[in-house]
Amino acid sequence: MRALDQDYPILRVGSLAKSYGDRKVLHDVDFSLHRGEVVAFLGANGSGKSTTLKCVMGLETPDSGSVRLHGRDLQTLSGRSLRIARRPIAMVFQKIHLVPRRTALENVCAGALGRLSGSASVSPLFFGRELQEEAMAALQRVGMADRAHELAGRLSGGQAQRVAVARALCQRAEVLLADEPVSALDPAAAEEVMILLHDLAHEENLAVAAVLHQPDLALRYADRAIGLLNGRIEYSGPVQGLTNGLRERLYSAKAVAA
Amino acid sequence: MSQQTFEIRRSHVPPRPRAVSRWTTAGISIAVLVTLHVVALRDTGFRISELIAGAEGMGAFLSDAFPADFDWDTVLAPALAATATTLWIGLLGTTLSIPAALLLAVLGSRTTSGNKVVYQLARALLSFFRAVPDVVFALIFVTAVGLGPFAGVLALICHNTGVMGKLWAEALEESDQGPQQALGTAGATRLQQVMHASLPMVTGSFVGLLLYRFDVNVRSSLVLGLVGAGGIGLLINQSIKSFQFDAMVTQILVVLVLIILVDQLSAFIRKRVAV
Repeated sequence: MRALDQDYPILRVGSLAKSYGDRKVLHDVDFSLHRGEVVAFLGANGSGKSTTLKCVMGLETPDSGSVRLHGRDLQTLSGRSLRIARRPIAMVFQKIHLVPRRTALENVCAGALGRLSGSASVSPLFFGRELQEEAMAALQRVGMADRAHELAGRLSGGQAQRVAVARALCQRAEVLLADEPVSALDPAAAEEVMILLHDLAHEENLAVAAVLHQPDLALRYADRAIGLLNGRIEYSGPVQGLTNGLRERLYSAKAVAA
Repeated sequence: MSQQTFEIRRSHVPPRPRAVSRWTTAGISIAVLVTLHVVALRDTGFRISELIAGAEGMGAFLSDAFPADFDWDTVLAPALAATATTLWIGLLGTTLSIPAALLLAVLGSRTTSGNKVVYQLARALLSFFRAVPDVVFALIFVTAVGLGPFAGVLALICHNTGVMGKLWAEALEESDQGPQQALGTAGATRLQQVMHASLPMVTGSFVGLLLYRFDVNVRSSLVLGLVGAGGIGLLINQSIKSFQFDAMVTQILVVLVLIILVDQLSAFIRKRVAV
């Protein structure tokens, strides 16, 4: 089963293009994500890494191109059917985006809202026992079970990001997109979160894509790397192929200026 | 141990660009403000000399007013009872406007309202309730339910819905949209996003604004008493009309105590709610 999964990409992005006004930020971006692997997106600021992720997530609308999840093109869907079709994709943010006044457990439960019916989901008071147990298991998976009833606002950055990953698990995500998940964290917390993302791919068979700013994190925790330069894919292959020359080219001053 | 010598370095300060035009704009602003004040002073008949000439009248008024009349049966007890009524008008006017204000705030905030037409409609409703003064609402309701506190409560509900709804809508728009967006990407509907992200993000500011409005409404209900909506305002009005200025002073002192207590209470609660 697993071998089969890895042959067929769970998410396939084809010929993605996007411009803001006259400025073209993505040209013809193609890639696919497979279960059981971590893909690192590398590139300088403005290279188009975050825009790519946002297009996949529907936070930005691409000018052209396709986003296929399990072979189904999400671009052709809209409204409720798109919301439902997108459910297996979860996102983790640089700014974490938990609700600080709610407990870690309540925040994790909120990941399941997409599959709860309207009336049963207006307040955390109505989160059922089964959902709470599932959320608790997710917190256990990320090592935050002992802080379940702590307000999210009282957690440290690294703890909060792990709770956000638990929220994605409670969403029953198959694809996890992480937009600079560790950029705001101190080095130790960043390592913990990267280890967690790596383990979720390799032990829970998730497809993980993470925008990273540090190539050395990619080398240690990712399986594949996609390097973007001025909105085009400059490199796509195993992280071992990230040579010094390539890294310099991706982050060169010229690339930033262009 | 050794004497250290510091080399003080200085660098040329480049001239600020367009420094001249800054002086010009300042001069024009001052000229405009002065002109506006001259017009306003003339139009309102603001003349200190008139105030000094009429000081005698004020003296007569004050000598009538003091010493204050603290007679329990005729002044103090009725004043306390009426002040309680004023407080209840302010309380109900605030709390009973919560449902409508909350609904209009969510619909009238660009970040939570899903529909442009609904947004504009909610904004227009809020503007209407805010634009009509509570005294006018009171006069309207007096014709419907007669003189008394009930008309005052209804008037405050209407006006406060407009003001509080607007303040809440602005708090929603200024809050961090991140968590709402995060739940949106997780497949939550707009209603779910509002209930689980937008509203929990603004609970603190909502409670703060609610207490502020309670404070204002208690003072407004005093004025509403003057137009027949009951409470201590009515008694003060009666005292003035029957030239019992010594009783009026007592009534104003009771009001002062109420205002201080409400202020302290809301400050206390706000401190507890703030996270």
